[in-house]
Amino acid sequence: MPFREINSKMIEATVAPGQRLFSQRGAMLAYKGEVSFTPNTQGGQGGVMSMIGRRAAGEATPLMTVEGSGTVLFGHGGHHIQVITLTGETLYVEADRLLAFDGTLQQGTMFMGSQGGVMGMVRGQVTGQGLFTTTLKGHGAVAVMAHGGVIEVPIGPQRPVHVDPQAYVAHHGDVRNKLSSALGLRDLVGRGSGEAFQLELSGSGAVYVQASEEKL
Amino acid sequence: MATPCGYRHPVAMFRLQGSKVLAVDMTGDAVKAKNGSMVAYDGQMAFKKLSGGGEGVRGMVTRRITGEQMTLMEVKGQGTCWFADRASEINLVSLQGDKLFVESSNLLATGSGLRTGTSFTGMRGASQGNGLFTTTVEGHGQAAIMSDGPAVVLRVSSQYPLTVDPGAYIAHQGDLRQSFQSGVTFRTFLGEGGGEAFQIRFEGDGVVYVQPSERNSIAGDV
Repeated sequence: MPFREINSKMIEATVAPGQRLFSQRGAMLAYKGEVSFTPNTQGGQGGVMSMIGRRAAGEATPLMTVEGSGTVLFGHGGHHIQVITLTGETLYVEADRLLAFDGTLQQGTMFMGSQGGVMGMVRGQVTGQGLFTTTLKGHGAVAVMAHGGVIEVPIGPQRPVHVDPQAYVAHHGDVRNKLSSALGLRDLVGRGSGEAFQLELSGSGAVYVQASEEKL
Repeated sequence: MATPCGYRHPVAMFRLQGSKVLAVDMTGDAVKAKNGSMVAYDGQMAFKKLSGGGEGVRGMVTRRITGEQMTLMEVKGQGTCWFADRASEINLVSLQGDKLFVESSNLLATGSGLRTGTSFTGMRGASQGNGLFTTTVEGHGQAAIMSDGPAVVLRVSSQYPLTVDPGAYIAHQGDLRQSFQSGVTFRTFLGEGGGEAFQIRFEGDGVVYVQPSERNSIAGDV
């Protein structure tokens, strides 16, 4: 396990020769040992297509490669950090929420429209995520940032979960998502309950929800 | 499902998940929560807007006069609903027929057996920067109140009155009398005040919830 939680807002990552780590540029707080940080402008991994995808999508949060041997402390903006361990499944997360992740994880970009068609694109706009989202796949750990604490809500086949789009952080597993709107007449006349749009997640996996409706 | 205190109806169970997320397990009953504070739910839920100041026409009139604009929503359904608001710390308060006075901005959710209303606070409210009226919650059940940082619960008994900073006060419960204290002196007018010109003094028997942070108030400026 390369990530160790120091406290709720700081993690310590161990890098060894031959093990790469990616992190958000500028998120390093301190390090021990011989560690080098190189910015990767080439769009990281995932091939040319995902690079173009990221460029077009504005999903190009600058990343840097962390290599060498030693330990590195990461933290950013006083946000809470949640370490998610992946065992073969795919994690869907917004790029600007990514703090650091294992170099062994396969990075990609997913077009929102490919999950849920037009509604998926609308969802991206509503949640402020844009038309693309970042995917990470494989075995390894990911450190994700959130405002306030994070809770993990399991999703089962008989147990779909609805999430406030603003409080949504990430999800993993075999999950379909769609934007459901409970927009009623009351909302139009200004008497809405403030819960007009919800993200409906069904399938099997888990969703991470932050204790706040604020963006990072 | 456990039915505490001899409730005959199924009652929504409040529990904290971490210190900043409130999980409510519901079995067909309704709870009231701050507008827009739902972060996730499973099962079936319906959200409907309510307005503060109590129910009915009297509540409506009270709202107009008091300006206590607490927008609440009614959440009804079956399943678990998670609430959170701007990463505030959440404290659970259980009420057994007594009354809780809380600033409307600090109230997150109340159980189905509780009624909400408005009461006059006088000078205290003005010094807190919260207006002249405050929200009351009474009945049997659980309420969730929010604080900026983890709140401390301070006990007040007849021998031990308590004085708190108006900006750090969030709620109180029990048989308490409150009075407003002013430490304004000649120095305050010279701009040499200690920043603690006003205080609220509680006497009687009950508890006061205080947060480790101060709201912006007139009292904090002088």
